[in-house]
Amino acid sequence: MAPKLPPHHPVEQSTSTAAGGQAAEHPAPPRGLMRWLLTTNHKEIGSLYLIFSLTMFFIGGIFALVVRAELFQPGLQLVNPEFFNQMTTMHGLIMVFGAIMPAFVGLANWMVPLQIGAPDMALPRLNNFSFWLLPVAFTLLLSTLLMPGGGPDFGWTFYAPLSTTYAPPSTTFFILSMHIAGISSILGAINIIATILNLRAPGMRLMDMPLFVWTWLITAFLLIAVMPVLAGVITMMLLDINFGTSFFNAAGGGDPVLFQHLFWFFGHPEVYIMILPAFGIVSAIIPTFSRKPLFGYASMVYATASIAVLSFLVWAHHMFTVGLPLVAELFFMYTTMLIAVPTGVKVFNWISTMFRGSISFEPPMLFSLAFVVQFTIGGFSGLMLAISPADFQYHDTYFVVAHFHYVLVPGALFAILAGVYYWLPKWTGHYPHLKLSQWHFWLSVIGVNLTFFPMHFSGLAGMPRRIPDYALQFADFNLASSLGAFLFGASQLLFVWLVVKCVRGGEKAPARAWEGAEDLEWSVPSPAPLHTFEHPPTFRPDTPH
Amino acid sequence: MWNVVKSVLAAFFGVQKEDRRREDFEQGRAGAFIAVGILMALVLVLLVALVATLVAR
Amino acid sequence: MRTFIVWMAGCLVVTLMVPVAMAQGWNMPVGVTDVSREVHSLHMTIFWICVVIGVVVFGVMFYSLFRFRRSRGAESANFHEHTTVEVIWTAIPLLILIGMAVPATATLSKMYDPSDADLDVMITGQQWRWRYEYLGEDVAFTSSLATSREQIRGAEARDENYLLEVDEPLVLPVDRKVRFLLTSDDVIHAWWVPELAVKQDTIPGFVNENWVRINEPGIYRGQCAELCGRDHGFMPVVVHAMEEEEFDAWLVERKEAAAQEAMGVDREWEMDELMERGEGVYGNICASCHQPEGQGSPPAFPALAGNQQLIEDVEWHLDKVINGVSGAAMPAFRNTLNPVEIAAVVTWTRNAWGNDTGELVQPAEVAERLAD
Repeated sequence: MAPKLPPHHPVEQSTSTAAGGQAAEHPAPPRGLMRWLLTTNHKEIGSLYLIFSLTMFFIGGIFALVVRAELFQPGLQLVNPEFFNQMTTMHGLIMVFGAIMPAFVGLANWMVPLQIGAPDMALPRLNNFSFWLLPVAFTLLLSTLLMPGGGPDFGWTFYAPLSTTYAPPSTTFFILSMHIAGISSILGAINIIATILNLRAPGMRLMDMPLFVWTWLITAFLLIAVMPVLAGVITMMLLDINFGTSFFNAAGGGDPVLFQHLFWFFGHPEVYIMILPAFGIVSAIIPTFSRKPLFGYASMVYATASIAVLSFLVWAHHMFTVGLPLVAELFFMYTTMLIAVPTGVKVFNWISTMFRGSISFEPPMLFSLAFVVQFTIGGFSGLMLAISPADFQYHDTYFVVAHFHYVLVPGALFAILAGVYYWLPKWTGHYPHLKLSQWHFWLSVIGVNLTFFPMHFSGLAGMPRRIPDYALQFADFNLASSLGAFLFGASQLLFVWLVVKCVRGGEKAPARAWEGAEDLEWSVPSPAPLHTFEHPPTFRPDTPH
Repeated sequence: MWNVVKSVLAAFFGVQKEDRRREDFEQGRAGAFIAVGILMALVLVLLVALVATLVAR
Repeated sequence: MRTFIVWMAGCLVVTLMVPVAMAQGWNMPVGVTDVSREVHSLHMTIFWICVVIGVVVFGVMFYSLFRFRRSRGAESANFHEHTTVEVIWTAIPLLILIGMAVPATATLSKMYDPSDADLDVMITGQQWRWRYEYLGEDVAFTSSLATSREQIRGAEARDENYLLEVDEPLVLPVDRKVRFLLTSDDVIHAWWVPELAVKQDTIPGFVNENWVRINEPGIYRGQCAELCGRDHGFMPVVVHAMEEEEFDAWLVERKEAAAQEAMGVDREWEMDELMERGEGVYGNICASCHQPEGQGSPPAFPALAGNQQLIEDVEWHLDKVINGVSGAAMPAFRNTLNPVEIAAVVTWTRNAWGNDTGELVQPAEVAERLAD
């Protein structure tokens, strides 16, 4: 069967502001596989992103469980060290670039147009393209595991020269897949910026936008600023490996530390790329279930901008032990400590939002509250890590592993889950099953803390990260972490079941699915029809945020 | 101009009054804020670098 | 309400875990140098600051969750801004951070001053062992993992110092300032001993500095802290700190042994002697990549057993061991091994596992090549 072209209807587009009804006017989309391959609809692409992200989350999760199973007790039982290194590396790469980032892009695809009253993303075909690059990139990345010499085994930070001179032959494929994923991110970011700046409902000014839109706007600028740096650094690797250059090879006049500077100049803003949209989600949910406007909306926006600027000035705190000069060490210690201030402002504002509210504990709120507590714990260990002399002891130990997992798993991932629970009624028209969601929440909280909290102690006791086997004094901590990891992993299966159940049926949700919800997305029916806001809504900024 | 600087400083600090914010968004031009913001970021870098250099002596 | 109690209980358990755990010694070691003590006290200070802030912040949060529950009929207020409060809670953390930055800066400046050292030790990271060189003393040796493969595979019971045991520890004197010069022959490693609060990356082509003055004699153990390839988890650091006189005696003894070895280069060696010595060197240095039975692990590490090029061309074989293979994982051993060791290990690999060439290489030949 000849593939059909994607729906192309200039008439509706040119007149959509003037007249015309809803979905009835659109020609029927292609059916089956072609519908998903060719779709330009932001809701469908959003769903694709979310499904892709969930798939990658499970693949990356299985890799993590291989790691945790090997570390269950001292000794080498299940895998050899080569494969262990591939697992830690792939786990990191898949989770960062394949699970967390696409999940946020998926939520942005679904919710940004709905929250600003736009009919779709500004560049729908580009949107389709940036999604379909991802499965290509990650199929390529995963295929390296089957190549001779194995996949990437140099950590997700791929420090040279381990990732150049000493890397397995498959590294060139890894570089290509990172390039493709990077292009996808840049295109996605451009699209989000174009949408937010051009397609807001008449009457909605920038400072009327919900915080999720704001945080994504800032995140998108961060992405455009740093993804090219990543592209540059992996291209330099490519040249070193295949074309005889010596960017990172001291024997040829290069500098291995240059790699780290470039990588972390990308890497630190990348960390914020993975947390700022989470701030936005939580800033939507907490006011809804406290039935009270967000405290200090302006401060929240300003603090986000402040964090974004500072994120470019702290990169070398990942490199305190490479032998920086004292001045540089001090500079990066001071800037890193400063970043705690705007971050603290956010936490205080969330708590003030709850103060004197009328609080109820629906599943999205549960995940958001857990986010606030656990993200703050991650923030505390971040503050400790900022103290450079102490960092000499923490650096590259499980203390660091505990820190960034607290920010990314009970932090970013919990915010994503909170967002999914919050908007599921809008997507499917049904509430997620209450009892099951509560089970999912409690099992996740217990699992995640049992996994990552003991890692603080194993790190302080002296366990380096990325080792396949360890000395006997670390055994108890690792046992606990492994048990927690399996509990956490298993309880995510519950989540999949719950989502499937919610798509199929459940308690019907009205347009405004949550009593305290204020933003524009709650003005369209649940489930949201395929095409929304074909006539721009009139936005009345009567409720100051 | 002084108002722009004050608002950008408020942004760096992370706290701003709703009224001032509203005023900025109604009267100010985005370009001015962005230019001052970048400038202030540079000032911050130089300031911290200066402190670090002095302390490292 | 039930939800809430579970919340509180969970948080309480976690919070209680922390001091209990710390009391159990699940904490950063205080260490045995002045610097490590300062680092430990910075760590505890910032930790308690975090605890206090945490108690206040989470306290207000849980109070709000408890007091302003909808199920208790709470009506929501409608305030959404309070500039004074916001300024205060931004200013307080800023002041705390400045207060914290002062002692941290002082300690850091101290750590960055390796001047006036009594002894210089060059530390070189190699996949996957450490090489120590006492500069100006003609004493140098490599230090590799001593834990047996049987223990790792679980065939034997594991020792108390499982994975933290080396064949030759770094010996240092107490009460003397020792300067470390750190570099690497291949990838980046990081030399770390928690009790000394020294963690420094070793970077190929660059030399980093650090220093230590140990206050108490003892044996201090650490590990490589930067992912450096397959056996990253199997390159421990062991420091044996001795009283000064004891250390001086040890150094003299090592110098004499080194001189003895140097004399051995000129004499004619027997096959048996070389094979015995070579097996030891092979097991210590080569086996981690080329495997105990010489089977290698291609494509990164080629097999030596039955390797035709190796069997046919002794010149090629010696060249690879002495000069390494540029652009690949094989390092140059010209500075790491002495002529006797090179001759022995080449002889061993040319005659073990069915590579029965019957050829032997004399240390004198190797010394000649090294002189070129």
